[in-house]
Amino acid sequence: MSGPVEQHGKRRTWVRTGLAASAVVFVLGLVAGMATLILRHIDDLSVASSDNMQWSLAQADVEFLRFRLSLADARAEPDAAQLSQLRQRFDIFYSRMATLEEADTFHTLREDASFAAPVDRVQGFLQATVPLIDGSDAALAAALPELDERAAAAGENVRRFSLAALSALAAQTETRRIELLTALVLMAAILAVLFAGLLLLAGSLSRLARLAQERAHEVQEGAARLQTVADTSLDAIFVTDSEGRVRQINRAAQTTLGLRPADAMGASIVDLLFPETLRDPLRNGALRFLGTGTRPGPEERQFETMAQDIAGRAFPVEISFDRGISGGKPVFVVFLRDISRRKAAEDGLTEARDRALAGERAKAEFLAVMSHEMRTPLNGLLGTMQLLRDHALTERQSELLDRMSSSGRLLLGLVNDVLDLAKFEAGKMEVETRPFSLARLLDGVVQTTAPLAAAQGNSVEWRWVGPEQPGAVGDMRRLRQMLLNLVGNSVKFTRDGSVEIEVERLRGDEDLVEFRVIDTGIGIAEEDLDRIFQDFVTLDSSYARTAGGTGLGLGIARRLAALMDGEMGAESTPGEGSLFWLRVPLAPLREAPEPQTARTASFGDEAYHDAAVRTASRRRPLRLLLVEDNEINRFVAREMLEAEGHTVVEAANGRAGVERAEAEAFDAILMDISMPVMDGPEAARRIRAGQGASADAPIIAVTAHALPEEIESFRAAGMERAISKPVDRADLIGALDSVTGGADEAEAGYAGFEAAPQRAPLVDERQLQSLAESLAPETRARLMDRFLTETEGTVAALAARAPGAPEIAPIAHKIAGSCGTFGMVALADALRRIETRVKRGERLDADELRALPDLWAESRAALLAWHAAA
Amino acid sequence: MHNWVAAAVAVAFTVSAVAAEGLSEPSGDVLLTIRGDIAETNGDGVARFDRPMLEAMPSITFSTSTIWTEGTQEFTGVPLSAILDSVGAAGDTALATAINDYAVQIPRDDWGDAAPIVAYEMNGAPMSVRDKGPLWIVYPYDSDATYRSEVIYARSIWQLDRIVIDE
Repeated sequence: MSGPVEQHGKRRTWVRTGLAASAVVFVLGLVAGMATLILRHIDDLSVASSDNMQWSLAQADVEFLRFRLSLADARAEPDAAQLSQLRQRFDIFYSRMATLEEADTFHTLREDASFAAPVDRVQGFLQATVPLIDGSDAALAAALPELDERAAAAGENVRRFSLAALSALAAQTETRRIELLTALVLMAAILAVLFAGLLLLAGSLSRLARLAQERAHEVQEGAARLQTVADTSLDAIFVTDSEGRVRQINRAAQTTLGLRPADAMGASIVDLLFPETLRDPLRNGALRFLGTGTRPGPEERQFETMAQDIAGRAFPVEISFDRGISGGKPVFVVFLRDISRRKAAEDGLTEARDRALAGERAKAEFLAVMSHEMRTPLNGLLGTMQLLRDHALTERQSELLDRMSSSGRLLLGLVNDVLDLAKFEAGKMEVETRPFSLARLLDGVVQTTAPLAAAQGNSVEWRWVGPEQPGAVGDMRRLRQMLLNLVGNSVKFTRDGSVEIEVERLRGDEDLVEFRVIDTGIGIAEEDLDRIFQDFVTLDSSYARTAGGTGLGLGIARRLAALMDGEMGAESTPGEGSLFWLRVPLAPLREAPEPQTARTASFGDEAYHDAAVRTASRRRPLRLLLVEDNEINRFVAREMLEAEGHTVVEAANGRAGVERAEAEAFDAILMDISMPVMDGPEAARRIRAGQGASADAPIIAVTAHALPEEIESFRAAGMERAISKPVDRADLIGALDSVTGGADEAEAGYAGFEAAPQRAPLVDERQLQSLAESLAPETRARLMDRFLTETEGTVAALAARAPGAPEIAPIAHKIAGSCGTFGMVALADALRRIETRVKRGERLDADELRALPDLWAESRAALLAWHAAA
Repeated sequence: MHNWVAAAVAVAFTVSAVAAEGLSEPSGDVLLTIRGDIAETNGDGVARFDRPMLEAMPSITFSTSTIWTEGTQEFTGVPLSAILDSVGAAGDTALATAINDYAVQIPRDDWGDAAPIVAYEMNGAPMSVRDKGPLWIVYPYDSDATYRSEVIYARSIWQLDRIVIDE
């Protein structure tokens, strides 16, 4: 702030100060001058330097006249008395003249000839007369006439010097008078100036006083306004000193808390406002500033807590406080707002929201259950139709069967869509993060959609835009679903055209991959572009019917994209074609992973289906136990298996299954999950736990529950694989192949379920609990220490091996056992997978080995954390 | 100077106590006559003093200039208070009158122990009438500015020959 205005103001201040200083100096000079003048006069007047000169002069005249009277008396009667009288008169006059001669007062006069000359002549007369006066009476008497004559002559001189002295004195007096007058005039002038100064001073003082009064008034008004504000406030307001003792409260404080000002004053605000249990935490926490006098930071000035009123009722409040300065000392201003109502409203809202959400979930669950239940009879239908093909059919019958089969799969697709949607709504969708090859994925997509495209006269192909980078980490299965949906859509709405898939890693954000599906189809009007992503929207119902679809596909695809933190959109020109784009974050992987699976198609996938069926004939006949409560399902599965040449033994529930498994040795067991009497996982556990003939037989879970966490529990129960209901022939055969080692397929484990490994529990707490109960703490601690030390080294060693090394299997097996003992289920599973694959002679993924140390570190931390907590 | 003043005062008290026993008769020319409200007399209701009587009383000598004379003069005399004490003056005012009938009132407040004095010698010699004698009430004008005032000058009566004590 150093603008011209301020400069100007500064200059004015300086000028003013200079003027005032000059005025002060001037006045001081005046006063000093006046003082000097007055002091000189005081000095002059403090002592009288002379007697009354006029009196002295007049007295000389008088004494001379008396002398002459006495002389005249003596001449008339010259006796001794008269002569003595004459002598005395002469002496007195003599002394008078002596005074005129000697006194200081007459010094200046004596220098004046008109005074000095007559005086000298009178002196001459006196000196001449002294011998006569001092002589005898006779001589004096004789000389009286002559003396009289001389005295008469002297008398003239007496008169003359008296008059001369008087005129000189008159002049002197006048000079003095003028001097005095001048001094007085000067003094009056100075006084006038001083008085004017005083008037100015008084004026300026009165201005200052008026200003001060106005200020005081303003301050008072301000204070009154502030008081009104404080009293009008609905919030309770407290002012405390730096120690937190209440100094002032407003009206709301009295009504809100029931405080009386007299009780509140001086009390600690913490004791006054807060319930006893909160006081110390507040003093050490949010209100620690009281007492230190430091100012709370901006984010520390507001918080919510509980307060209590004078009656002890506790209620939620919002506190806002800050430090101020009053009278040079820190004070705290505390606002307290009763937020009971807000809290109640919030709680009500939360509850309403929770209820609504619960309702939504319930609906979604209902939908999920319904679609699941619909799949069971569909299973029966489709399975039976597949079985029907084994019989000799006429061409017409075969054609009808194709139609039925096609409709059934369409229906299954619809049900699956609805189920997906329902899962979304139920919040049961999880994203996986796995390495995979984009190239292979897109090859699969093209391959899968090729037959339908060919039927419409379309070509389908994909290509890279920009540098190729096939390795990626993400949810391959969902991505595939989305791409299939988009490509499927394009193929459906294009006739004799092309569908092209472009893949590009977006620059700037290396994680983001964009897929563009470009067709030369009928296109979409601009106003419909947003609608197509809504649920149950089909733009052209007749066309859609021929193309097939619920109108859910794009809605689900967009949800999936959002689930993967991606987006999806479309651009189109009607009549020329459409472009659907999908942007999802996929972390790049330097090398494309080895194929984990040769088939990634879902149920109803024609290509996969055919491939699986083609390989089926090469299997050896197996002896199988089928545990399934639903008779139709049982029938379908049995028929499918027997068609493959297998022998099937049935059990209607879990318990029956366990009994059969104990009694007989089976090559594999197919286990339904939801069953009366005993469910699948429990039965699997018992079979594994028992010493029955089939205790080690592979168990395949057959389930409609396809949620990752459930898959984990199936694994934990000892089931190697799971297949989805409704049972698909190819799926069933593939699963059997994988568990009995007869397959040439690389796929193992939970095909179609792809459990999310990062979601699996690291440690099995039940296992840990049972371990803790069966071992003494010292023993357990010792064992655990040994386990941790040994395993650490072994895991590191394992991770360092080349994927093809033959010793991997025994090492993995050994650690897997001890990991299982100490409840590290995730690690044990990973190790077992590795062991199985090595034993089967499959190629291991190097990443699988490299992932072990991390998994170990996490498991170890989880184990230690559990122990610390236990 | 204060020392001798103090000493003189002490002597004055002693002597006045002696003098209070009664006034002697004047043997020579009477220089001073006191009348009025007095306790001691040596004539017809009056107290008369000749030179020996005055000289017998404790004296004070000081040097001072005066406005009536040239240069510094040495005066010797009796404090006025001592003389008035010796006659038992009860009034508050002394009306001092000169030979030529010049008169001035000297209030009791001014009857100091050391000043004024009734001087009977100037420069070690008696004063004639021509020299403002034989008695002259003088103050030590040089010793204090308060003695240099018109009132004091007026009270400095020369050729003193009588005093009347008034009530």
